[in-house]
Amino acid sequence: MSQPSPCARVAIVEDDAILREDLARVVTHAEGLEIAGVSDTLAAGRTLIAPGLDVLLIDLALPDGNGVELIREAREQLPNIKIIVVSIFGDARSVVRAIEAGADGYLLKGAGEQQAEEAIRSVLGGGAPISPAVASHILNRMRERASSQRGPGPDVPLTEKETAVLTDLAKGFRYKEVARLHGISPHTVADHVKSIYRKLAVNSRSEAVFEAVQAGLIKLKD
Amino acid sequence: MASNKLLMLKSEPLGAPTRGAWIIAAIIIALQLALSAGLFAINSIAESAQGRQITDIAAAEASGRGYTQLPDSAFQPGRLPREGCCSSNNLIFRTTFTADDAALADPAILIVSAYDNALIYVDGQLTAGVGRAEGPPPNMGRLPQLLRIPRSLVDAGAVVDIAVQRDVGFGHLRPFYVGEYTALYSSFRALTFLRQDLPLFNAAIGAFVAAFCFCAAPLFGARGLMLSLSALGGSWTLQHVGLYLTDPPWGGVANNGLYFLGFLGACVCLPWFFIEWTSVLARAMPKREPFVAFILDPWQAPARRRLAVVSLCMLAIGAMLIAWRLSFDPAIASQDINRVIGWLGLLAMTFCLVRIIAFYMRPGSQDPIAASAFVFVVLAAIADISAVRFLKTYGVFLGAAVTFFPLALLLSLAFRARGIFEAATATAEKLNILVADREREITRNHEEIRRNERAAMLLEERSRIMRDMHDGIGGQLIGLILQARSHKLSGESLVSGLEQSLDDLRLVVDSLEQGEGSLTGALGAFRNRIEPRCEAAGVELDWKIEDVGATPDVGPDRTLQIYRILLEACTNALKHSAPKRIAVSLRRDGNRIEIALADNGCGFSDGAPAGRGLANMRTRAQGIGANLDIQTSAVGTRIALTLPA
Repeated sequence: MSQPSPCARVAIVEDDAILREDLARVVTHAEGLEIAGVSDTLAAGRTLIAPGLDVLLIDLALPDGNGVELIREAREQLPNIKIIVVSIFGDARSVVRAIEAGADGYLLKGAGEQQAEEAIRSVLGGGAPISPAVASHILNRMRERASSQRGPGPDVPLTEKETAVLTDLAKGFRYKEVARLHGISPHTVADHVKSIYRKLAVNSRSEAVFEAVQAGLIKLKD
Repeated sequence: MASNKLLMLKSEPLGAPTRGAWIIAAIIIALQLALSAGLFAINSIAESAQGRQITDIAAAEASGRGYTQLPDSAFQPGRLPREGCCSSNNLIFRTTFTADDAALADPAILIVSAYDNALIYVDGQLTAGVGRAEGPPPNMGRLPQLLRIPRSLVDAGAVVDIAVQRDVGFGHLRPFYVGEYTALYSSFRALTFLRQDLPLFNAAIGAFVAAFCFCAAPLFGARGLMLSLSALGGSWTLQHVGLYLTDPPWGGVANNGLYFLGFLGACVCLPWFFIEWTSVLARAMPKREPFVAFILDPWQAPARRRLAVVSLCMLAIGAMLIAWRLSFDPAIASQDINRVIGWLGLLAMTFCLVRIIAFYMRPGSQDPIAASAFVFVVLAAIADISAVRFLKTYGVFLGAAVTFFPLALLLSLAFRARGIFEAATATAEKLNILVADREREITRNHEEIRRNERAAMLLEERSRIMRDMHDGIGGQLIGLILQARSHKLSGESLVSGLEQSLDDLRLVVDSLEQGEGSLTGALGAFRNRIEPRCEAAGVELDWKIEDVGATPDVGPDRTLQIYRILLEACTNALKHSAPKRIAVSLRRDGNRIEIALADNGCGFSDGAPAGRGLANMRTRAQGIGANLDIQTSAVGTRIALTLPA
């Protein structure tokens, strides 16, 4: 962070007015959080991505495009920004796509104020929320990629520990339970999950390059 | 494998001969004619000796091997060439020098008939000679002799005795010549070439054909054809090798035996080979009455093995006859066998000629290369036999034909094989195109089936989701609306009702998302659905999920039903049993998976309001082919769902 700020500045991109206002209210009421800007479209959301922004709350289904695009741009412009996806179901497919684009976590729409605030604080504090569904989806994707004849296999494969942690998370175990099972601290579990998220993003990029090369969009020189 | 090769050689549609085939055939014929012409020229040189031909001669039989001057009265006058000359083979021919002979600068006598032992006495004095003085005489003579006479001894009227020895008598006796040595030399050289060099050459070719065909026979389907050709080549070689075994240690039995055996072999193997060739390469004939078919062609495919056996039997019997004859008459003084076999050969040749001409006259069988070789061989053989038998000269044409015979045959087979390869390639290409078409069609059909299946699956999925929505969230929302309309709904219950609806929707989403992978993940996702309730009720949730591996048979549909059953069980427990703890477990036992929800509450009786919920659970379990086991007591309830996976 370039300049120490007492309050984390939060931008909200959400097209549903009621949900947007709900989120804004959560942020306003929360101690140490402040609104940096609010938008209801992808285009308007782009203007909010500026230095000094700490958190981006973003919906995926926006009227003028998919939020994933904005996540990618925001991650490129502001490497340290925390990006939280707001989703109705927190369904693994869209959450994993967002994580691959660079998101740090997700927040269920319609969650209580307290839960929403906790989720934001947790991500700000270095946490990495993960649902069993997302964990098992990531596991499947990694497995598919490793066994795929077509793809190059993951560039950055998960470590054994990470896979074990992910497997237990997919079974529905909480951070605390996983920590106890593996004899590590819950923070370490969170670190593992963050590492997994980062690898997912890296692999996703290399996979995109691979697919582009396959499709003839990019030509690589030997 | 063998039958394939046979089919290959049969080559039903040979097609019109190509230009190349005609050219090669023409070249073969031209080479054969050139060689024949060359041999004919050499033969002419041999026949037209530049000297005085002695045709009127007196002959006497010597009493022993040595020369004794016999009185004129012992000599019988005769005229050359003469057939079936003498009963004994120690002969003395007597003639006199003429005035012309006396004028010769370098007089010499050419003995055309094959005598390897020859002595010339002028007025009872030995003047020239060749051969062995000691030991037995050569069995069959092989070489002509050209003997110089000292000029001083050649006086007009001088008596010349030519004493010759061999063990075997003559078919016919050739004239003698007196002339200049140099003038006679060319004839002598030509005769030597025809009797010594050419047989060696022919023997080499015959051996090559025999060895090649014998070795190649297993590779061809038409083994009979190759073996017959090999036997023919072998006979040819045997006959020529036999000619060389005139001197000790071979003697009469080996020399005569091999020669006659070779001769007989050629006579038997030639028809055998031609029958094979014409039958193997013949096109299939229309079906006929077996008897008619036999009359028309007794050598059809099934009978050819018998043909081989018969040929070999004929050879064996012939060999035994020759051996029997040799056993008491090693010299075979008379030329009976030669004569008999000669006639036999002529018959065989005629048969072959007729058959081969008939074969090549049939439509579709035009193979000029093979035909050129065959017709020439047969014609040359007939010409040779005729020349020897009727013209009393040496046969030379068969040698020329035999030189090119294997070459032409191999070329013919190569052409045949090429045509077949081309036809096979064309067929393969056609097949490839056909297969490719079929593949495309199958792919298309497959894609269509997949599309249809997918469409059907989507339709089923859609209708299932509709049903779920209708059963679950739809009903709940309508209930809420109706209650709100009649103002019976408090804000609190509206919120809880809506939350329930959303929960139900999330349940559906989870089932869709997790139903494809493993029940482990599916139950993992389910924890978020019941934990908040348990927390709200102050009940501890004991989560005991094991990894049960992939469960491809448990689709979204069954997953949702499992969710609903568990949710119902959980709701029942929270509502009726007031437990402190609820344990959810998942484990695999062989090919069965058990999902259980156990509480430590006070249990419930069947009459309780939970009854409808239980019935519901049972129905759902039945619907997905699972077994539902409920155990309840005052210290707790355990609901276990067992399903195959």
